[in-house]
Amino acid sequence: MNANELAIDIRGVSKKYEEHVAVRDLSLQVPRGAVYGLLGPNGAGKTTTIRMLLDIIAPDGGSITIFGRPNQETELLNRVGYLPEERGLYRKMQVRRILRFLAELKGLDAADADKRINEWLERFSLTTKERDWGNAKIDELSRGMQQKVQFIATLVHDPDLVILDEPFSGLDPINAQALKDAVVELKRRGKTVVFSTHVMENAERMCDSVCIIARGEKVLDGQVSDVRQSSGRRNVALTLVPGASGNGRPSDNGIGHVLGDPRLVRRFDDNNRYFEVELAAGADAQELLRRLIEAGAQIERFELVLPSLHQIFIERVGAQGVETGMSGHG
Amino acid sequence: MDKFWVVAKREYLERVRSRWFIMMTLFIPVFITAAFLVPVWVTARSAPGASLRNILILDATGTGLGQRVADVLMRDTVATPNAATLPSPQVRDVAPARLAAAEDSATHEVMKPNAIVGYLVLDDSTLSARRVRYLGRNASSIVDTEKLRAAVRQAFTGVMLQREGVKPETIALISNLSLDMPSTRIDERGKGSSGQAAVFLGIGIGVLLLMSIIFHGQYVLRGVLEEKQTRVAEVVISSIKPEMLLAGKVAGAGAVGLTQQLLWIGISAWLMTNFAPLVLKSAGSPVTAQNATSLSSSLGGLTPALFAVVLLYFLLGFVFYASLLAAAGSMVNNEQDAQQAAMPVMYLLIGAWLFVNSVIVNPGGRIATVLSWLPFSSPIIMPMRVGLSSVGWPSIVGSLAVCALGCVCAVWLAARIYRVGMLMYGKKPSFTEVAKWVKYA
Repeated sequence: MNANELAIDIRGVSKKYEEHVAVRDLSLQVPRGAVYGLLGPNGAGKTTTIRMLLDIIAPDGGSITIFGRPNQETELLNRVGYLPEERGLYRKMQVRRILRFLAELKGLDAADADKRINEWLERFSLTTKERDWGNAKIDELSRGMQQKVQFIATLVHDPDLVILDEPFSGLDPINAQALKDAVVELKRRGKTVVFSTHVMENAERMCDSVCIIARGEKVLDGQVSDVRQSSGRRNVALTLVPGASGNGRPSDNGIGHVLGDPRLVRRFDDNNRYFEVELAAGADAQELLRRLIEAGAQIERFELVLPSLHQIFIERVGAQGVETGMSGHG
Repeated sequence: MDKFWVVAKREYLERVRSRWFIMMTLFIPVFITAAFLVPVWVTARSAPGASLRNILILDATGTGLGQRVADVLMRDTVATPNAATLPSPQVRDVAPARLAAAEDSATHEVMKPNAIVGYLVLDDSTLSARRVRYLGRNASSIVDTEKLRAAVRQAFTGVMLQREGVKPETIALISNLSLDMPSTRIDERGKGSSGQAAVFLGIGIGVLLLMSIIFHGQYVLRGVLEEKQTRVAEVVISSIKPEMLLAGKVAGAGAVGLTQQLLWIGISAWLMTNFAPLVLKSAGSPVTAQNATSLSSSLGGLTPALFAVVLLYFLLGFVFYASLLAAAGSMVNNEQDAQQAAMPVMYLLIGAWLFVNSVIVNPGGRIATVLSWLPFSSPIIMPMRVGLSSVGWPSIVGSLAVCALGCVCAVWLAARIYRVGMLMYGKKPSFTEVAKWVKYA
């Protein structure tokens, strides 16, 4: 990939703290305009990677460029918006003043900042006919409102690269939806979004590409569709007609021995509303379907699917495990 | 550099807008003015010696000594407020044989309410053995007894001179001789202001600098702690280098301190000029020349050069201490630990202050000289010395340079601790750990 097409290029970066290695020889490339997921269990090194990316901490070795330039350039950081995992604002400060302060720190002039802040406050319903929360102190705001203000602070300077560390943690459903909408809109406008998460469903729904890291090392990376395809596994999503055969559980309705056949099924996962069945190597999906019908199962859904990121994650990271005692710096 | 100003501006505006700042800015000058004017008012109201106008003098010497004492007392208390309404000392000439009876009745008079305060006995022993007795309600007042003693001595001198045949006019001239002795400081540049005023000024400068550094340094400490506790630090540090953030905070807080001091001086001066005459008038005091001159001359001693020196030392001292306190704030996660972490820094400051007494007593002494060269104490000691005595320009410039060098070291150290500390949560670090931060930051 051409360097000019990369929003982020991390090469061979390591960071060692006294007792442990937080990040080990990590390389990853984020294309411009992509929504990129940094996935990993708690303590995998996600936050450390993000902090190095933002030049908050210096790596022990390796190189990091943003939009093709070394990430130490202050001008460059003005084009980046950052929402840290641990969020907070000056409690005694008025919303407008704090937003103006953070916007000015990103190189905006005060007048321009004020204009944009008002637009954002309106968009997030923080200024209404009844009350202008822009003049309230952070202390007076509800938690949901504070999250909105923090999010405005991340985006007010219209950054080209947006970095969100565990953005969904602690969000109520309404703000989570607003965040998803905002990410989609950023992508539509050609911005690059990088977010870290350990919730695979979010990543699968929103990301073009992902990188899974564990214990400070890259496990795999690539486009989500490639990652899922390259796993070399075939899955079947299976739903039984409710009530028709037992209460829909394989053990209750005589299909347990079919799903338990190691020549057909490597393993299956009860997702409550459907079973995710992983076919054994060389097994034929049609054979499975035939055997299920023979066993008297009434089938509502039988669909060949790619393995979910969640499954891939569990399989690949689960093998390595999560190093204990590494929490704190995700 | 733009971002430095953004941080400094925020620090300044948020602080200056706070209710606490406005209250302190108004309260302190009112307090200072009151501290000056209340004692003046009280002194003026109850001028020492006023009660001596209400005594009885029993004179058994037959030389007119009693009347002379009364005259001296009258003359001494002319300047007392409401002098016209005060009674005059009564003089009773008594025969020596009837003195005992007269004393008896005088004692009863003193015991009555709203009567004389006490009585003075002059008899043969006064002339022969210079013995005088005074009995009264105010016998324990040092001021009154001293004044009385002086009055008797003066009157006695008059009587003695008269006996020696000195002309009455000459005696009157000698008795009325009043001595005025203002003390004036002399240094290499010639005559300066009054010695007392210099002490006033020196202590004032020292206290002002110490208080400002403590107040506003503590504010920096708490500000850093707040940024860490609310986790706003990480957002800010993703936009600006920690060193720049630290510098902006210290500069902003320093500007707040400077603003407050200028307001303190301005408001105090305004209150003094407007209220001092009113207070003195209401106390009925026609003259408080002494107070007025000591005040005005102490302010007169604040030359532009001295002002500039004070200003420079304040800035350097503030940078030195505030950046170290910021580092202390960045190491910890709660107020309690912060006070503990700040202790070593505060000890430096208090340590310097402990020597202030010896600096006042001997501004040119060895302790004063050494302390005015050390970066942690020079911001307080040197301006005091300059106010108290004369210090050569080479010394001032040299000490300023050493202090500036100390500031560079303090800022360097603080920035390294700050950079690591701001993102460290969890338990309070030990000194060995902090030393490692400094090494690896």
